[in-house]
Amino acid sequence: MIRWIRIFSSILLLTSALSLGTSDSAYAGKADKIVIDGSTTVGPIAKAFAEYYMSNNKDVNITVSESGSGNGAKSLLNKMCNIATMSRFMKDGEFSAAVKNGIMPVAHVVAVDGIAMIVHPSNPIKELSVEKVREIYKGKYTNWKQLGGPDVKIVMISRDTNSGTYETFEKLVMNKERIEENAEYVGSNGAVRQRVQSTPAAIGYVGLGFVDRTVKALTIEGVYPDSRSIASGVYPIARPLYMFTDRYPRLGTHLHAFITLYLTPRGQEIIEEIGFIPVTQYKYNK
Amino acid sequence: MEIQSRKLLNISFTSVGVMAILLMAISLVVLLFPIFMKGMGAFVFRETVENRELMLQRFGRGNREEVMADVRETEAARKPVYELMERFEEEMSKADSEFRRKYRSEYGDIKEMIGELLGPGPGDREGALIRKRYGKVRMDRALAKLDQILKVETYDYSDTSSMGKKVLKPRREIFSGTTLEPVFTILEKDINKMMKPGLKFYWRFLFDKSQDAHFFGGIWPEVLGTLYLSIGAMIFAIPFGIVAAIYLAEYAGEGRLTRLIRVSISSLAGVPSIVFGLFGLAFFINTMNISNSKSVMAGSLTLALLVLPIIIRASEEAIKSVPRGYREAAMSLGGGKWHTIISVVLPAALPGILTSIIVSLGRAAGETAPIIFTAAVSVGKPLAIWQTLSQPTPALPWSVYNLATEHEAVNEIRHVQYGMVLTLVVLVLLLNLTAIIIRKRVSKKLRR
Repeated sequence: MIRWIRIFSSILLLTSALSLGTSDSAYAGKADKIVIDGSTTVGPIAKAFAEYYMSNNKDVNITVSESGSGNGAKSLLNKMCNIATMSRFMKDGEFSAAVKNGIMPVAHVVAVDGIAMIVHPSNPIKELSVEKVREIYKGKYTNWKQLGGPDVKIVMISRDTNSGTYETFEKLVMNKERIEENAEYVGSNGAVRQRVQSTPAAIGYVGLGFVDRTVKALTIEGVYPDSRSIASGVYPIARPLYMFTDRYPRLGTHLHAFITLYLTPRGQEIIEEIGFIPVTQYKYNK
Repeated sequence: MEIQSRKLLNISFTSVGVMAILLMAISLVVLLFPIFMKGMGAFVFRETVENRELMLQRFGRGNREEVMADVRETEAARKPVYELMERFEEEMSKADSEFRRKYRSEYGDIKEMIGELLGPGPGDREGALIRKRYGKVRMDRALAKLDQILKVETYDYSDTSSMGKKVLKPRREIFSGTTLEPVFTILEKDINKMMKPGLKFYWRFLFDKSQDAHFFGGIWPEVLGTLYLSIGAMIFAIPFGIVAAIYLAEYAGEGRLTRLIRVSISSLAGVPSIVFGLFGLAFFINTMNISNSKSVMAGSLTLALLVLPIIIRASEEAIKSVPRGYREAAMSLGGGKWHTIISVVLPAALPGILTSIIVSLGRAAGETAPIIFTAAVSVGKPLAIWQTLSQPTPALPWSVYNLATEHEAVNEIRHVQYGMVLTLVVLVLLLNLTAIIIRKRVSKKLRR
């Protein structure tokens, strides 16, 4: 029996030795962590920022998880993360719950994003109005034929209700009207794209950073979603992307340096290269 | 029953059994073979000069002179492409607006794709993201990109009764008559000179940190995280599991309460793992506050709860199957009950107990749902052992799911995903194998 305990503890020792070898043990004393949770749309920005920041500051461990804007807000108000990434603003309920828990959410607008309506490239439809999109998701149009396409039943793909992209879509496109029951709900931007690229009859909506050559983005109200049309404010379905912190981070902390990264030239380049619009370029039309 | 029909029954039973085993073996092969083949793609692949440059600049590996010589050589081969592009830009700036309108967006596409294939050209600004600073590092991706450059994918919508049909058109035709036309021939002909492909055995895939959200580099944080989580789960589950099993088998009487406990344990084993995940979040993190965010500790505890029923039930059976004679002999020599259990019963039951540990170790390493809310993140550093108490970690099962569904460039990094799956499968096999070897040696010693 004792021998087994010995073997077991030697395995433990071995793994700890392995981990010692790879971590920056010299910094262990002042080790710092930033935990980020939330939106899958803001995910790519958070991940790229985290890696950029960690490569310059070896003593910080920044972890990013993407579980949806709603979960980000929940994590922040449960004090489980330092930064909640959200693709929508906090709701009243979330805000008051946070204040009740002693959290004062502060919003940082890190970038602007357009929600692109995407279809399979084989779909002849190129252009829709916001109203037509709404009618599709309300279930009024069920066949592409009604919109001038072939006689194929429309497959609606939507984000899950935990998603900030869903909330924005509901607000800007649906006018708070209900999405029809047989829409297919999926859990991330990537999953929407995957469903659309493999289903010729599908329509879905994703953040601009997720549009690639495998799907076709639709022109909405005569405006094609690209960085220029979104930055100038003419594309109708655009929204700011947020990072929420508890109070404004203290100057000189890693959290402060990280949360202001989006204002630095490097941060803006990163945002642009991922496919979003830096806030400094956005011209508010209201 | 007649002897004849009994024989017939016997034969049919055997054949059904053999068929079932065969079916399982075939499905195992069908499942494991692609996992192995595709997974190996992350470790063994044809690298391009871009990969050698990346390795040199980001990891400090490779011979600087050799790599720079390669880079110069490929730069020379790429020069005509850039020259033609420059000349075409000149042609465009001089031509009338109709010409410009006709080619502007097409040329923009091509320039972008050539940038993706070869990396930033001379005079281009260096990108902020690492993925923008290098071209395609894998030859298979490079050839796929080349294909996209050479052939434009259009859709023929003339048949209005159905969806458009995909038509592949050589892009050369679009640019025929312009100065850009020869570029396609050059790209097609000289791709090997431009990329200098070579076979690469990238065993460090296991031990490198990822670069630029898994675009480059390896999966060490994930591997280490999985090891921490599964071994951590075992540290919590094994002592509790065995003690509970000893109590149930040796001390608890056969009352209604014990029966109830047994039923509860069995049904706990059937609870979906996501429920354990949510419970872990609600109990360990929100109520017990063992860490102020997700952490390896919380994940291990959750996984421990998940495997506890397996360990308890199997260990209890193992302890019960130790012959009564062993106990009676030990008692007759004057050993107390506790002493008997520790020195006689437990060693005899050890092979059975180890089997339960093997099964649960594999389960803990491969589970995704319990760690989503309690431990797993998609980007993070490899942790030192004391950091596991308070910090979350990337882990293989979660990262496989995350890359498959949430990553913004899924198609570019499929090989990483496959590599992770292979690593996870091999890791579980290895953990099991060590446990099996240990069990073999134990039971051999017992027989002596």
